[in-house]
Amino acid sequence: MEGKPLVISKEKTAVVCGVPTQVICTAFSTHILVVVTQFGKMGTLVSLEPSNVTGDVGKPVLTTKVLLGQDEPLIHVFAKNLVAFVSQEAGNRAVLLALAVKDKSMEGVTALKEEIRTCQVW
Amino acid sequence: MEGPGAAARGNVTLHNFSARLWEQLVHFHVMRLTDSLFLWVGATPHLRNLSVAMCTRYVSAAGGLWDPIPVSTALLGDMSDTTSTGLAQRLARKTSKQVFVSYNLPNTDSSFTLLVENRIKEEMEAFPEKF
Repeated sequence: MEGKPLVISKEKTAVVCGVPTQVICTAFSTHILVVVTQFGKMGTLVSLEPSNVTGDVGKPVLTTKVLLGQDEPLIHVFAKNLVAFVSQEAGNRAVLLALAVKDKSMEGVTALKEEIRTCQVW
Repeated sequence: MEGPGAAARGNVTLHNFSARLWEQLVHFHVMRLTDSLFLWVGATPHLRNLSVAMCTRYVSAAGGLWDPIPVSTALLGDMSDTTSTGLAQRLARKTSKQVFVSYNLPNTDSSFTLLVENRIKEEMEAFPEKF
């Protein structure tokens, strides 16, 4: 009865910009759930959905929406930079991002992207 | 286990289990975080909705020390479907944690959801460290 879990998850703990960070990626058929946390909490919950209308280069435009937490412009930019590649690589699946990081710097994005990549479930 | 620096050690844990309820194989996916819990329930790997519930620190108008009914809201999916909001609310009350629930079973009959809820509570009692 137990068998294999229906949803596949990968997790990793790494030190990113001097801060211990945990990354957990879970694959659902319609969504990829990406949890990036330095506090052990879900933090801000952002949904990134590819729209049907494609942009100039043929890549679908990602629509970001803060579902829970502080809705500030930076979170939209940070979320898009961080997980747009996940959506693309997962065949334009929607991404649900739970983000709890100390500071949202550009160096942080690059380092965190690498950690997310190692938790590839798509 | 919950001491200072627990978050720094990376204390998010994952737990999967499944059960056959009314001839339906139901899968459960649990993510245990600091003071919060993410629970997914489904038969197919879909994520159709998401709700969150948490206990409020405000005293209700009826008085008492703690408002016994946690507040709950739908974050994703059909806002009129109260199955996941209700489940999140009851689990938040039980655990005193912030609880995220995604309920993806086609059967939202109350007697069936009660069965699902009881299976979750059973697992909580068997593996309290996973919740």
